[in-house]
Amino acid sequence: MKKFKNFFVEDIPRRKFLQMSLKGGVAIAATPSLMMHLLSCKKQESLSTEMKLDPDLFNRTIRKALEKGGEFAEVYVENRISRNIIMEESKFKSAVFGISQGAGVRVISGDKTGFAYTDDISEENLLKAAEVASYVALGAKKIEPVDVKEQSRDSFITIKLPLEDIADEGRLEVMQRANQAALDYDPRIKMASISYYDEIRGRTVANSEGLLLSDELPLLFFIVETLGVAENTRHMGRERLSKHSGFEMFDMVTPEEVARTCARESIVMLEAKDCPAGKMDVVMQNGWGGVLVHEAVGHPLEGDSIAKKIGVFTGKLGQKVASDVFTMVDDGSLPNFRGTTNFDDEGTQMKRNVLIRNGVLEKYMTDILSAKQLGMERTGNGRRESFRYLPIPRMTNTFIDKGKDKSEDILSSTKRGIYVQSLSGGSVNSTTGVFNFTCREAYLVEDGKKTTPVRGATLIGNCLDIISNIDAVGDDLAFGPGICGKGQSAEVSAGQPTVRIRGINVGGSRARR
Amino acid sequence: MDYKALSEQLVKKCMDRGADHAEVYLETGRNMRIQVRNQEIETVQQAATHGVGFRVFVGGRMAFASCNEFSEDALGKTIESAIGFAKNTTPDENNVLPDDKGFTDVMGLYDPQIGQIPMDQKIELAKKVEKLAMEDSRITKSAGARYSEGEGETFLANSNGLLKTYKESACSFGVSVVAEKGEQKSSGSESCSRRSFSDFEPVEKIAEKAARDAYEMLDSQMVKTQKAAVIFDPDVARAILGGILAGVNGERVIQGASFLADKLDQEIASELVTLVDDGIRPKGLGSKPFDGEGVPTQRRVILDKGVLKGFIYNTIVAKRAGIKSTGNASRGGFTSLPGIGAHNFYMEAGRSTPEDIIKATKKGLYLKNVTGYGIIPVNGNFSGGASGFWIEDGKFAFPVKGLTIAGTAFEMLKDIDMVADNLDLNRSFTAPTFRIKSLQIGGE
Repeated sequence: MKKFKNFFVEDIPRRKFLQMSLKGGVAIAATPSLMMHLLSCKKQESLSTEMKLDPDLFNRTIRKALEKGGEFAEVYVENRISRNIIMEESKFKSAVFGISQGAGVRVISGDKTGFAYTDDISEENLLKAAEVASYVALGAKKIEPVDVKEQSRDSFITIKLPLEDIADEGRLEVMQRANQAALDYDPRIKMASISYYDEIRGRTVANSEGLLLSDELPLLFFIVETLGVAENTRHMGRERLSKHSGFEMFDMVTPEEVARTCARESIVMLEAKDCPAGKMDVVMQNGWGGVLVHEAVGHPLEGDSIAKKIGVFTGKLGQKVASDVFTMVDDGSLPNFRGTTNFDDEGTQMKRNVLIRNGVLEKYMTDILSAKQLGMERTGNGRRESFRYLPIPRMTNTFIDKGKDKSEDILSSTKRGIYVQSLSGGSVNSTTGVFNFTCREAYLVEDGKKTTPVRGATLIGNCLDIISNIDAVGDDLAFGPGICGKGQSAEVSAGQPTVRIRGINVGGSRARR
Repeated sequence: MDYKALSEQLVKKCMDRGADHAEVYLETGRNMRIQVRNQEIETVQQAATHGVGFRVFVGGRMAFASCNEFSEDALGKTIESAIGFAKNTTPDENNVLPDDKGFTDVMGLYDPQIGQIPMDQKIELAKKVEKLAMEDSRITKSAGARYSEGEGETFLANSNGLLKTYKESACSFGVSVVAEKGEQKSSGSESCSRRSFSDFEPVEKIAEKAARDAYEMLDSQMVKTQKAAVIFDPDVARAILGGILAGVNGERVIQGASFLADKLDQEIASELVTLVDDGIRPKGLGSKPFDGEGVPTQRRVILDKGVLKGFIYNTIVAKRAGIKSTGNASRGGFTSLPGIGAHNFYMEAGRSTPEDIIKATKKGLYLKNVTGYGIIPVNGNFSGGASGFWIEDGKFAFPVKGLTIAGTAFEMLKDIDMVADNLDLNRSFTAPTFRIKSLQIGGE
């Protein structure tokens, strides 16, 4: 089970979406969803448009985009083929196949950005998009774009069993195996829901700095949910498995293991009691909990809110912001991880970025625009949900680096508090630094031991307080996959070793005894 | 392009390629978004786009495929993908398409004027809302203002002879600002979304609300862990409505995965609580003449004076339950199968004023912001982060943040003892101000 844990973390929630939705603010729900959808595609099935586009077409488009002025222009072409199959109540209920392609053209002029996209990658439409994007730079100083030249980047993704070689039967089989293992786990598991998703995304980035880069990445996302039912209570457990890899992902962690871990949570939590409310010490198990730093520290370290000078970490570079034992890293080059790509969606090489080292703030995460605004390096964090979106600074694989403590010692030295085995997810306000998390599986800690499971409690606090209050960091770093939302969604992973945080406000439904 | 004719032809094409039944869901539209910060344009985004999804049934098996390219070749390949993919699903006698050719006339969903209004006027609106929000001296920074708009047309055709279309538009503007005092930072944002540009709220009102939300929370304090009354501002309606909506989802009910599954016709809430799903409200942001698979929409009472009156269904789940679709097939666009969702979902207004409710509260929390997942639909448990104002002797005493609230849906719904008259139906998911007489609050 050890290796197994290494691949897991709960989902990272849709930060902005959550904030908006709970406020009751209406997003443009009424406008056609056309503008917010991501779909997918694969090479041999790709449509009439050839993905291998003529470099001169990029040059012409970039020239058109910079015709009115501006200092940077970019063309991003994407195609995607996706498959999503859902099994529920032991039936294959839905099968959704997606084919999409398109291109986005962007112009930067000072702090201004113009952007347009097209579903149709013809010269006519690319030039039209370039013209629409160019207006923002009207009257600005002109530059001479560098002709594009094909380049390559190191790859962090290896594939043994390519998705395109897998017959649909193979996909159905892993689902069936998970379903059976979940139902066999315990008679109180009344239903399992298995969602299988894969995609192949092809990307080409060309820009006025002369860059021309292409790649094609597979992505797998496997989600098991199980419904545990006891008298007067129910609990829906969930486990996720995701990598940029071929189908060999299911050899490294079997569908049965995913299902059993999920079913175990459903059953354990049927016994859960009310959680106490108030300030207490929290021990967070390795893996899952990385979502806490993703939200509480990661989002506030993204270059866009720093460039606007509104982020909670604005002006704190080089300062001590956390306890000595706290080191936090964003690394988009971890082999085959869900947050890994070879280069970001602007073409910047992925690498390891230490954001906070031994409590000292060293780096913000940037895209091309925020790097320019801040006068800092490009860190490889410019990502976009699809060609329909502008790239913005996003995390990749974000984690608290391992420390020296033993996880057993961390627990045994905690007299009273809450042990958080997994989190459902959370959100943060990047300006104030106030974050919240919902526990998925948690226990009381009494006299240094995990005791009674407690119902989904909320953890809440301020990010600066929390990272100062982390006083123990284990040596058992582990990761897990999630979805991050910031107006657009991105696949990420998050990780941490076992850590203890002193004095978090826990939102239970009863007063402390 | 004649999309209506195309939709009809594509249904036929699906049938020719081997589908027993088929549905074509086609969308086309355009969108535009302007962001402004510190009175300068930050981004301008524009696009026109389209796409089509095919739902096919082969021997009782259902599958779906979508694409965003309309060449004959691409459309043909996508249809073949859908039909090929159908071999993977389990046959089900409930896999049927609707045949109700009815159409509910809903006024005010489309305003052709939006596209005619000059770009400069839209940029000015975003600049103005930012300028006004920055006027208060406590506001120190702008996180940006924006204007966005979209319009589109939906075409739905199926092999039962349905062929329906409608046009819609929406526009929105808003602003986010930051108030600072010493080391403290506090953010506030507000926006206004409408079907028509001419229906926008006054820009002053939006700016003032954003600024107030930011500066009001400065110097916030903590309170002790305790049980007390909690008053929900309309801004946090979703925290309680979201879980109830998921709980009345007909599919969850059949699966036994809802805390409301066995509560039909039972009293589950205070008699002050009436919940409505209205798909036909004129100009409603959630209104449509027909749902995501072509069934006419309606106005339905879900919870009547505390009694649960019904669940919401799409065609397939309704057939399974042995009833008629309630017109609640939701659609996440042309890329997905119909799910189940609400249109304009709200709690009906009561008789108190918001001021009455505050005045009547000796001690409690006035909630302005809730974080977390709200009510968990499977078991009705609720826990969230909370901020707002602390009330003492019927008055706001001081702002509070970093608190938590927790309980169960049934306790919360039964404890609603005051509902205000300030329902704003310009939002699609909303409630008036209401009070829960006692809830666990976590603090120091």
